Order: sequence, then C-alpha cells, then structure tokens
Amino acid sequence: MNSASWNIQDHAAEKGVPAGRGIVEGNEIPYRPEALIKKQENYKNRATADPETKCWMPGVPRIMYMPYPFQIAQGPKQISILFEYTHVVRNIFTEGEHYPGHIDMWMGDSRGRWEGDTLVVDVTHFNDQTWFDRAGNFHSDALHVVERYTPAGPDHIRYEATIEDAKVFTKPWKMSMLLYRHKEENLQLLEYECFALEGGPK
Amino acid sequence: MRPRSFDRALRVALTLGAIVCVSAPMVAQRKPRLVAGCPSTPAAFHTCALEKAKTFTPPRTADGQPNLQGIYEAPMGGALGGNNSTVVDPPGGVIPYQPWAREQKTENVEKYIDPYTHCLPITAPRIMLSPRTRQIQQYPGYITIINESGGHPFRVVYMDGRPHLPPDIKLWRGDSRGRWDGNTLVIETANLSGMHWYGAGGDFFSDAMKLTERLTMIDANTIHYAATIDDPKVATRPWTMALALERNMDKGYEWMEEGCFESDRDTEDLLLTGFKMYPGPRFPK
Repeated sequence: MNSASWNIQDHAAEKGVPAGRGIVEGNEIPYRPEALIKKQENYKNRATADPETKCWMPGVPRIMYMPYPFQIAQGPKQISILFEYTHVVRNIFTEGEHYPGHIDMWMGDSRGRWEGDTLVVDVTHFNDQTWFDRAGNFHSDALHVVERYTPAGPDHIRYEATIEDAKVFTKPWKMSMLLYRHKEENLQLLEYECFALEGGPK
Repeated sequence: MRPRSFDRALRVALTLGAIVCVSAPMVAQRKPRLVAGCPSTPAAFHTCALEKAKTFTPPRTADGQPNLQGIYEAPMGGALGGNNSTVVDPPGGVIPYQPWAREQKTENVEKYIDPYTHCLPITAPRIMLSPRTRQIQQYPGYITIINESGGHPFRVVYMDGRPHLPPDIKLWRGDSRGRWDGNTLVIETANLSGMHWYGAGGDFFSDAMKLTERLTMIDANTIHYAATIDDPKVATRPWTMALALERNMDKGYEWMEEGCFESDRDTEDLLLTGFKMYPGPRFPK
C-alpha cells in the first residue's frame, strides 16, 4: 500500500515507479561513509543489481512492504506469515530462543513476544544478500531487526522496524508504516512464482 | 556465503538415482514395522487404516473440529509402482495411464530433469510424501499445510465454502477447498498448472487433474492419507494413492529456512548433461 519497495525514502515518481513519502523516520539513513558510497553504487546499478530481480527471497522487512499480499496465520505458539511472493514463509515462534552462533538465512530467525497488544519480533541470523528497496539501501550479515506490530483499528496494523547493523550504519534507525487488511470478499493468496515466470534456468 | 543445502543434494541425487534405477526392481529390505497397529506397506496399511478410522475418536480443537494439527513425516515414501507402491487402486499398484502417457512417463526420465530439482514449486500429493516434514495448522475458516523441503511450498485450504477460482487461473500449487466428512478432512484441489511431476520417476499429470485428498486420524499420532486423482487427459480412470502421515516426535522440533531456488547454483551443469527442462505433457493430436 506504499511505494517503499522502490525506495524507503521520500522520492518523486520515475517511469514505472510511483512517487511516495518515505517510511524512514526523519527520512535520513545514518550510513557509515564507506557504506554510503556502496549505496550510491547500488543505486546506479539498481536495474540489475537489486537482488529482488533475481527472484531470491527478499528479506525482512522488505517483504512486508512489497506489492504482494500476505496472510498472517496466528496460533498460540507460532505465527506463520505466508506470502504470495515466491511462497515465502516466515515462522515467528513465541517460544524458544534464537539459534546460537551465526546462521545465514534470507528471512532471518524470528522470535516473538507480546508487550500488551503489540507483537514484538526480534529477527537475527540474516545473510548479506538482500536490500531494503530498489534504490540500493542495503545491510550486512550483522543486521538485527526488531519489528513491532500494533493494532491501529480493526483493519490496520502500525508496523515499525528498528534496523541495527554496526557494519553499515552509525546508529540504529527506524521504519514506520501502516499495514492495511485486504477487504475484498474474494481475495485469496494466489502465486507469484518469480523464478517459474522467468521460464526457469537459462 | 550460501551453504548448499542437504535437501538440494538429495533432490539431485533422487533425480540421478531415478535415471539409473528406473528399470531395476525395487527390493523391499525394511524390517516389518507397524504404524498405528497396521502394516507399513501402503496397500496393507490402507485397508487396515480404513477399519481403524471407524473406531478411533480424534481429539478436537477448541471450536470442535477434529484436531489434525502437527508436524508429520511420511516414511512410507512415494513409490508409484513396485512392492511398496503407494498406489492402492487400481490393484497392482500402477498408475492407469493412457498408452501415450505411459510412453511419456518413460520419456520424461530419459529426457527431462525433475522440475523439483529446479525448485519449481511442488504441490499435493507430492508435498505430502516428500522427504522431511510438513506441518498442518487449523484456523477459523482455513487450514494451512506447509512443506519443509523444496523451499517451503505451502497450501491454504479454505474451509468456508467459497467456490474454486475461475478455471483460467492456473497455479503451481493448485486451489484447495476443504470440508469435514465426519472425522475426515476432505480437500479438493483444482486449477493446477500441470507442469510438475508426482515424483522423481517421471510420473506426471495435466492441468485437468482434480485431486481429492482424505485425511483421517487413526490414532493420536497417525493420519491415514488417501489421495484420489482424476486426470481424464492422462489416465484411463481415477486412481488412489495412500500412506501414513506419522507425527514427528522430536521435542520442540522447528524447521529452518531452506533457500531452495536461492542455492540452486548448478542447474547449468545439470542441463549440460543433455537433460532438458520438462516442457509439460505432450497430448496426442
């Protein structure tokens, strides 16, 4: 429902890219100097360098603001988020702890807890292969995301993600947006099997 | 750094294994094992499980549905022929292909790479009998079935009586609708793309395939799974496969992410062997 998947910061329209207000609080991202240079290179090469163009799993939080629906299936100890985009599954366990050591995962290891009405999800164990958007905003495998899902009405969730990555940023920063419930009566998850749509391996 | 997944290696091995072993008779070497007090060969299990289902009272969810939830394995496997064939009807355990389709099945393993090896998304019945586990969860109005291997293909089975999608929306994983028949969960799936296989042995289906699955608890840890396949473009009659879904008993078992396509780095090497991408059924003119 926003255009953050193209650019998480304030941006004017380009061909095929809707304009949009940013979802980054304060709009500025505190890159380390060398990381800012990398971001600018990414931006120049974005048409082919964005990992999303390779049909790989797009990481967290990006998948939460891509233009494909997802379904939250909520159980007592496990909340599964099922995505139309390449049948990605996120399992948020509300019991158990993060795996020890470091494991590279595309969508990370999600552990949730309730703070009042807010679901707080701590996500670690990322790889360094995904971006936050098409504009080249990126992270390393030291990424740590804390998501907060807070009801903002019967059909809205206030979604916040605090981004921490000492290899790339000088301090933590935060995204904030609304998630809107689909109200279409015939809506169901269909498929965007990205890789299959490309005709499979070349 | 992307570690190559075990499952990926397994899928390639299964494909190559199927190529090598396609004409070798299957030799049953398992020790006799009982599943919910039933024999562990699919045909005998099926007969026994149908009886067990008549007397077992399943646990219920808070809203009164039979409770099938959990993580299940399918150690009876997915043979579609031989002594351990999961095909329980017709008797003899062989898929009743039309003559051209029997030829295509053979051609498939001679010429094409199993679409699963490329991580193209598998669907039922294959997701119910593939290696590793699948998780069934029940929610108001729908049931989810998430497969562990193959990049976690999932199904959302709507239980609210909504109609199937229009026929021109084709899906790799199909469009599933469920209902309760007594204690049995009945899932009907249509709208399939028809571009995938039942297993590594080249057995295939068309986009006309309609699948009816029946899942019934026969003891606290075992589901009798029976899938009837009606594919008039490919088979001479509907046929049924059956096996047990056995609860994973590992305490606190969680599956980890599998980047199937993401770690699929040797596809080009596989194509260099001369095998090609599966182009789908080639119906007679």
